[in-house]
Amino acid sequence: MDYINFFAFGIYPYLAGSVFLIGSWMRFDREQYGWTSSSSQLLSTSGVRLASNLFHIGIIGIFLGHLVGLLAPFSIWHAVSLSMLGKQYIAMYGGGFLGILCLIGGAMLWWRRVTNPRVRAAGRASDLFILTWLLLTLLLGLSTTFITAQHASHGNADTMMAMAQWAKSIVLFSPKPELIAEAELIFRLHLFFGMTVFLVFPFTRLVHIWSAPFGYLARAYQIVRTNRASAR
Amino acid sequence: MSHFLDRLKFLTKTKETFSGGHGIVTNEDRQWEDAYRHRWQHDKVIRSTHGVNCTGGCSWKIFVKNGLVSYEMQQTDYPRTREDLPDHEPRGCQRGASFSWYLYSPQRVKYPLIRGRLLDLFRAERLAGKDPVEAWAAIQADAGKRKQYTAVRGLGGFVRADWEEVKEIVAAANVHTIQKYGPDRIFGFSPIPAMSQISYASGARYLSLIGGACGSFYDWYCDLPAASPQTWGEQTDVPESADWFNSTYLIVCGSSLPTTRTPDAHFVSEVRYKGAKVISMAPDYAEYCKASDLWMPVNPGTDTAAFLAMGHVALKEFYIDNQDPYFSEYARKYTDLPVQVMLRKQGDGYVSDRCLRASDLDGALGETNNPEWKTIVYDEKSKSFVAPNGSIGFRWGEEGKWNLLPKNAATQEEIVAQLSCIDGKDDVVSVGFPHFEPGEGDLLYRNVPVRKVKLASGEEALVATVFDMQVAQYGIDRGLGGENVTSDYSDASVAYTPAWAEKVTGVKAADIERTGREFAYNASKTQGKSMVIMGAAINHWYHNDMMYRGVMNLLHLCGCVGQSGGGWAHYVGQEKLRPQAGWAPIAFALDWHRPPRHMNSTSYWYFHTDQWRYETLRPDDLTSPAGKGKYKGYSLADYNVAAVRMGWLPSAPHWNANPLDLVAEAEKAGATDEAGIAQHVIGKLKDGSLDVAFADPDNPVNWPRNLFVWRANLIGTSAKGHEYFLKHLLGAQNGVLQESGDGRENKLVKWHEEAPIAKLDLMVDVNFRLNSTGAYSDIVLPTATWYEKNDLNTTDMHPFMHPLAEAVSPAWESKSDWQIFKNIAKTFSELAEKHLGTRKDLVALPMQHDSVFEMAQPFGEVKDWSKGECDPVPGKTMPLLKVVERNFSDTYRKYIAIGPMMVNIGNGVKGLDWNTEEEYEELKVMNGEVKEPGVSQGMPSLEEDIFVCDSVMRMAPETCGEVAHKSWSALSKKTGIDHHHLYAARQEDKITFDDIKVQPRKIITAPTWSGIESETVSYTSCYTNIHEHIPFRTLTGRAHFYQDHEWMLDFGEGFCVHKPPQDMKSFSNLSPEISNSSHIKLKWITPHSKWGIHSTYQDNHRMLTLFRGGPYVWISEVDAKAAGIEDNDWVEAVNANGSTIARAVVSQRVSRGMAMMYHAQEKIVNVPGSNTTGKRGGILNSVTRVVIKPTNMIGGYVQLAYSFNYYGTVGCNRDTEVIMRKIADKDIDWLERPLTPEREAQLNPPGIGPR
Repeated sequence: MDYINFFAFGIYPYLAGSVFLIGSWMRFDREQYGWTSSSSQLLSTSGVRLASNLFHIGIIGIFLGHLVGLLAPFSIWHAVSLSMLGKQYIAMYGGGFLGILCLIGGAMLWWRRVTNPRVRAAGRASDLFILTWLLLTLLLGLSTTFITAQHASHGNADTMMAMAQWAKSIVLFSPKPELIAEAELIFRLHLFFGMTVFLVFPFTRLVHIWSAPFGYLARAYQIVRTNRASAR
Repeated sequence: MSHFLDRLKFLTKTKETFSGGHGIVTNEDRQWEDAYRHRWQHDKVIRSTHGVNCTGGCSWKIFVKNGLVSYEMQQTDYPRTREDLPDHEPRGCQRGASFSWYLYSPQRVKYPLIRGRLLDLFRAERLAGKDPVEAWAAIQADAGKRKQYTAVRGLGGFVRADWEEVKEIVAAANVHTIQKYGPDRIFGFSPIPAMSQISYASGARYLSLIGGACGSFYDWYCDLPAASPQTWGEQTDVPESADWFNSTYLIVCGSSLPTTRTPDAHFVSEVRYKGAKVISMAPDYAEYCKASDLWMPVNPGTDTAAFLAMGHVALKEFYIDNQDPYFSEYARKYTDLPVQVMLRKQGDGYVSDRCLRASDLDGALGETNNPEWKTIVYDEKSKSFVAPNGSIGFRWGEEGKWNLLPKNAATQEEIVAQLSCIDGKDDVVSVGFPHFEPGEGDLLYRNVPVRKVKLASGEEALVATVFDMQVAQYGIDRGLGGENVTSDYSDASVAYTPAWAEKVTGVKAADIERTGREFAYNASKTQGKSMVIMGAAINHWYHNDMMYRGVMNLLHLCGCVGQSGGGWAHYVGQEKLRPQAGWAPIAFALDWHRPPRHMNSTSYWYFHTDQWRYETLRPDDLTSPAGKGKYKGYSLADYNVAAVRMGWLPSAPHWNANPLDLVAEAEKAGATDEAGIAQHVIGKLKDGSLDVAFADPDNPVNWPRNLFVWRANLIGTSAKGHEYFLKHLLGAQNGVLQESGDGRENKLVKWHEEAPIAKLDLMVDVNFRLNSTGAYSDIVLPTATWYEKNDLNTTDMHPFMHPLAEAVSPAWESKSDWQIFKNIAKTFSELAEKHLGTRKDLVALPMQHDSVFEMAQPFGEVKDWSKGECDPVPGKTMPLLKVVERNFSDTYRKYIAIGPMMVNIGNGVKGLDWNTEEEYEELKVMNGEVKEPGVSQGMPSLEEDIFVCDSVMRMAPETCGEVAHKSWSALSKKTGIDHHHLYAARQEDKITFDDIKVQPRKIITAPTWSGIESETVSYTSCYTNIHEHIPFRTLTGRAHFYQDHEWMLDFGEGFCVHKPPQDMKSFSNLSPEISNSSHIKLKWITPHSKWGIHSTYQDNHRMLTLFRGGPYVWISEVDAKAAGIEDNDWVEAVNANGSTIARAVVSQRVSRGMAMMYHAQEKIVNVPGSNTTGKRGGILNSVTRVVIKPTNMIGGYVQLAYSFNYYGTVGCNRDTEVIMRKIADKDIDWLERPLTPEREAQLNPPGIGPR
């Protein structure tokens, strides 16, 4: 295994993860006023509703798919009697479908960001960069589907298993880069691009993901503070 | 501590719940609230204001955050007015609120800038081993080198320079100019000191110390109402805005209060709630018309006719048909209406001549002192002619009778001056009155009752009162028969009836009649609380003095002037430099040398920018057959030269020789004192080896050489005839679309076939913004903004002393004006030590108003020594000749200290003198003494700006009660009346700079002004003339309806008369190709804008954002349609003077026949090229040319005597006409091409030569 693969799949994940977590924390503490989704909907509404929904539905679905697909213990699949190959088909069709939704929405947003003069003027370079990067990552991910389909047609779920095991090895702090060092290049590129998203995350508008307003679902109707001295 | 960790405390976040869990109590971190707290926290909040051209004098809070000015907001802590009056606050407008943008804007001048080519030339000479003065001389001696930088003025090419080096260049140029040509070839221009007094004083002090000339501004801006000195002998004095609230009837014309007097306009709204009626008169539906009860749309430039017709109604109904007791008493005591005027036989009838004097009568009525200067009335009590108290003859040479008490001066018995002799007339004669409305005859004969009087010479003369002639002049029938009078308002054939006025002005006769009647009725009921607010729109015309006198006549007939809530209120560029008496010695270095050199700018620029070479106006077309016409055939320029020779107007330079050399030459020839030197000069004048410079302005010897501009935009918005400035003064790319030649026919001014270009060797602009003036300068010095310096500010709109204060230190490399000129003075002194040393300078001083020389030329007769009519006698028939010794190397040491003349000679204002020793000693303690060894060691220091502020205030009666006491005591002696009560309560007050930083402070009543500061009345002008019986500073001591100077009568302006707008012949030399390109010819009106000038500039980004983002011109829908122009199209306004390009604003607001381009729109923002001229598209003044008026040149004659910014030619510009045409978008050329040698060589428009 060469040093590039060792770095990319043994060290880079921790680098990206550290920047992601520490960076997000620092930005949250230091730059409260920059903690925003930087929505441009105010500047131009045409087509945003459709594009944004397609993009967000797609990408949230893909994210959850990756989370579950890579990190869920194999025992769960056994318990529901889902074969590895079956799981691979679900990933292919489900992921493919969501990926295409995301791609359509993302491409629309990208086009808007480049051509709409108001959005373009107000947007920062990082906005265009991160959108482009996500789309490239997505395209790489979608193109792995064809190889996965080939594997599947041969009844082979090894690559996918290897990916999941590698992901777990990272999360469990016993990195095993060798698990995927031999995988097709396209997989490795997709992984690299994906990890880079985490690396740049704190420096972009993506931080708004942290602030998904789940709290609203369960919050009290009235939130007050007291100025009574005894309130402590 | 950490927002993130706080978020993690979700388990302990909820302290308790209530309402069944629907509500929770939290103790979330509150740190985020600090962001909102910090938003309103500042390092400091400093009081300052906006300091060049704004009469607001508004108190602003300047907020400083992190060392930067973040914004400004209105301050609301003025002292109150009175219980029954609204307060002056809050003051401030949208312009002032936008100024902070400027500090850190791209327009800010951050470093000293110099034209790159000039710097290269200078460095090369220095490297060759020359010292700075030699280096400068070498560049000037080589025409080719000089042209390298003069030809690219206005085309960019600045480089950043270092303070030391630019100071050296400026000082070297000054030294060289003094040496080679004389100090009066150095000129400085800065406007309106009142708004930043110390800044003005800086450059003026430097120039005065080295003998340079300071140019006037009030007259040049045409804001000086010549009618005010003519009528009252007073430059301008107006009510504070609070006095509008005391009025019950207001006519507003030519002054858009909400637009240009924004912080004061509330008083007009408030007085309407109190029940006052407000009438507006304007050609357009201006902003102020909306807040009036009646809008009278008037043809531009015809306001005189409307006011004279209102006067016709008032006079007929309140003097002739009925006699209003208040009006007649006022007229007798305070106006010249009862004064006797001699009639002169002319043709079949008579014309009015000069006023009768005591010297004309037997035994001079017992008057031995100045009997030629004492006018006569007929006393109803003693049934005889008497010389009443108060005429100018009593002001000088005697004491106690210069007052307006109705007394016979000889006996001090009470008199009743008779207005009309109609019941005791000796005869009725036909008197010709000049008339100028085309087609109605130029002399209208009307019958006037007269008395016969036997003169001392034995002759019998006919005399009439001003009143009797004024009634005839108004065309009112008194049953004396004769023509040109009527008792029918609807008779349109008789001049000055309402029906006649409708024909001329377009205003409905019924409106004129009603307004005239109501105005007078209201004044009668309220003892004068009828007011006229007026301004630029009627004052900027060639015949502005007629417009204003038309208003003043109405006001005086109705007894309004000097009454609270009544009188005139002139608002345009008027200023009130309240601590003037304390300021003038510092500004003009009177503490070291007297007299300083002052110059009336209008004549200066008329000659030096060669606008006289293009003169299309012939004085012979302007005169009346009623005059003596001794100057027939003279050109306007000739009149000015005659005025300079006779000691009426100043001149810079004065002679066609270096004044330093003149003295040296005289001393060499044996002269030992001032009189000897004067004799030498007179000898040279007589034999023709010396002459005034204006007799040959194009001779290089007489060119202005160095020009300082500070606090100003001289070349941009202030240059009437902008393109001529560019062509002749600067030698830059210009758009003049004609060649000179019309001005060839002169009697006194020498004509050179080739016109000179690039007269200036060096132009220095001191500014914080790079505007159109900086763009044409050779050196631009960065100065502090209004929030970065300590200075004083006063206005006539409110009675408070106000500071400008240093909220932040001057940004980048800028310095305050005081420090800049201090530094230049230092370098100058060093260079002068070697090159100049001590020299004697000869200053020619005109015969000034408020000095005894205002009585130089009796009877208003013109006697010209150069025509052999008299001998040249300094101070009598020619200027005073004063020798001033200057040690040029002491300039810096003198600049930083208050000099000894304040102790040796003392201080004074308006003809009053007082001792100022005590204040001098106090200032030594307050400011500290100068430590630097030399001529000024141990004197009160002026090293810091605040020292200067405090010195001004300590020496002025308005800010130091003790000085008020001294100055009032001096006046009490002259009038014989005790004025002590006016300031008694404040005799111990001394206002300091620290005081006014805390809160604006109300000034102390001073004799400098004609109103009072009191707990019972608002400040209003001429109040002390009426209520304290202090005479107006005029011939009769009273307000003048009649002007008896020969030139006044020559031009038919003895009485106020309607003169139509002057045809400037703006198209006569225009190529037919341009003339025929559009048939839309419009009057060119240049009022003030809502979105620029005064307290900020139009090129301020916030202002641009509010309206059109660049230059624009308003035209009516009708004219736009006829010319195929739609709103926002590019249009070109063009005439022989040049071309300007702007966007069209097509609006119903504007009447047909006029185009309005707001004043002060900058050339540097969004101005494309003009295809007609091939140059940058110009500014509002690209199509104007300044024209001077001979009646404004009169001098040596009381109220018509010259004084700086007081009387003199005015730079009118309203009479211009332009051709308006559309420019297609595709034809717009932004001229964004590199400078090629061809383009550099093409200074003039295609097809126009250098002449």
